[in-house]
Amino acid sequence: MHTSDPIIAVEQVTRRFPLDHNAVIAVDNLSLVIDRGEFLAISGPSGSGKSTLLNLIGCIDKPTSGRILIEATDTSRLTPAQTSILRREKIGFVFQTFNLIPVFTAAENVEYPLLVQGLSNSERRRRVSEALDNVGLSARANHRPDLLSGGERQRVAIARAIVHRPAIVLADEPTANLDTRNATQLIDLMRNLNQTLGLTFIFSTHDQRLLEHTPRIVRLTDGRIVSDTISEPSHAEVFAASVS
Amino acid sequence: MLKFLQLAFRNVFRNRRRTVMTLLMVGGGVAGLLLVGGFFAFMFRGLRESTIRNGLGHIQIFTAEHFRRDEVHVLDTGISDWQHVASNVRSADHVRGVAPRIEFYGMLSNGVKSSVFMGSAVDPDAERAMSFSPRLASGRDLAESSSGEIEALVGTGVARSMSVKVGDGLTILAVTADGALNGIDVQIVGIVNTGFKDLDDRYLRITLPSAQRLLQSDRVTNLVVGLDKTENTDAVAAAFTPRLRGLSQEMTMKKWIDLAAYYKQVRTLFSGIFLFLGIIVFFMVLMASVNTLLMAMMERTREIGTMLAMGTPRPWIVALFMLEATITGILGAAVGLIGGNLIGIALNASGLHLPPPPGLSTEMAFRVLHVPALMMGASLMVVVSLALASILPAVRASRLQIAEALAHV
Repeated sequence: MHTSDPIIAVEQVTRRFPLDHNAVIAVDNLSLVIDRGEFLAISGPSGSGKSTLLNLIGCIDKPTSGRILIEATDTSRLTPAQTSILRREKIGFVFQTFNLIPVFTAAENVEYPLLVQGLSNSERRRRVSEALDNVGLSARANHRPDLLSGGERQRVAIARAIVHRPAIVLADEPTANLDTRNATQLIDLMRNLNQTLGLTFIFSTHDQRLLEHTPRIVRLTDGRIVSDTISEPSHAEVFAASVS
Repeated sequence: MLKFLQLAFRNVFRNRRRTVMTLLMVGGGVAGLLLVGGFFAFMFRGLRESTIRNGLGHIQIFTAEHFRRDEVHVLDTGISDWQHVASNVRSADHVRGVAPRIEFYGMLSNGVKSSVFMGSAVDPDAERAMSFSPRLASGRDLAESSSGEIEALVGTGVARSMSVKVGDGLTILAVTADGALNGIDVQIVGIVNTGFKDLDDRYLRITLPSAQRLLQSDRVTNLVVGLDKTENTDAVAAAFTPRLRGLSQEMTMKKWIDLAAYYKQVRTLFSGIFLFLGIIVFFMVLMASVNTLLMAMMERTREIGTMLAMGTPRPWIVALFMLEATITGILGAAVGLIGGNLIGIALNASGLHLPPPPGLSTEMAFRVLHVPALMMGASLMVVVSLALASILPAVRASRLQIAEALAHV
């Protein structure tokens, strides 16, 4: 089912959250392999463990047991500083509530990951311009988030997630706060970026509009995978085939 | 770095009402310190100048022997060739005048009652040339040369205890430089109120020639030097050093600050009060700022989580919060400097007077001096206070668990 180029390997991962005298198992002995360039949705009802799994893959949470490999690096062996560098260089995040820095303009928000990476001023400007072009927001570059619509904010968030050319983009319920028109535009945008830039997109959603455009859907219930379906040849496969 | 500074600056003005309140609080602290400190500085200056003008002078010149041993007889350790010493120092820059003095003691008698006195003999013209004049309760100051009677000033306590007034006569008895007893008759021309009761009870002043006749010596105890400005004291003292070398007697000098014990006590007391006020303001700013910055941190929990998720190093978060607090401190200090100085100018223009302090009969002017060192100190204090206040929120922010911070509502 998978090509020979896995970018993420989740191996028997469990995440327990202590709650009073009991523990809630958000992710239960879950294994999953994701290939480079995939466009993958993690779906399931509320409380099924979608966001927890994304947090674990994004290295912003640690599994209670099991391990996660990103580009063959065992993330459980990394120090906090190394984990921070891995996130900075290899992962882009898109959040349900956009999470833009309100005092920064759209362009400055997009620039932030490059600032953290310590890129030069001219390089930052070039990449920001390119990223805003990719999401069709060049004209709104100097607007602050409070002057942008919900759809525009999420596009800024996507530009911010891709500007530093990460290998993986993680999006947690990216269309949850958008109306149908904006949600559709966003889905098209993400799919387009996935296909043109070869980025691996992984997002949690129960938005049927988004799932309809998703070649691979992993369904979770109670922290376990109940189905892992591929509806068409994935981009990864197309990409791998074209490369070969 | 510039972008990071921009982020910090914009964050400061994110919640404008809260920032304005913080700036007013910090600025109020700075302004309060400037006003209190400026008033204290005015008091110190007034006390310093009145101490100097009341006769202490800026610099006093003695023989070195004067400080090495006690005198067996009066003027034992006095300056013999004092005119030569005086002419040596008089020509230095900033010197306004040089006045010889004799300090002596003895008995006063009006024929009925006797009393001990502590006397000083002066050259009245030289004293007046330096604006050194006694505070007269009645009568007039000594004249340089009088045709008949030897003139004297006595303290209010002496006049009261001896039941004498201006125009009355007294007999002064003192031991001469040779150890013999001598006496002269004087006429009281003025009653002096020094402001210090113990001194008023023993105060006597006569002219230098009269004292030299009484004490049978042409020596003087010291030379008092008056300058154009107190600020020149150190420079003039340095210039005196070579001028006092190679004389027939080894000479030494004391600056006014070495001799003004009362001034130093007052200054120490009020400096302590000011320090206490400063500590109170420091902790007020610190505690209020910790609260404000913790609130700001709580409000931005999700944003901090987002920044950390994007790989922002945790020390950057600490630096960001400390930078924001420092900017707030600088702006607050600027508000305080502007406000404090404007209020100071207004108070100075108002001609406000305070009720007479204990022991004085005249109202005291209320003035606020603009002291650059005080402005720097107060500003630095609030900036440091804000920076310290930000440590707790900054460290808390940097230690947030990313997943929890992102889920924060």
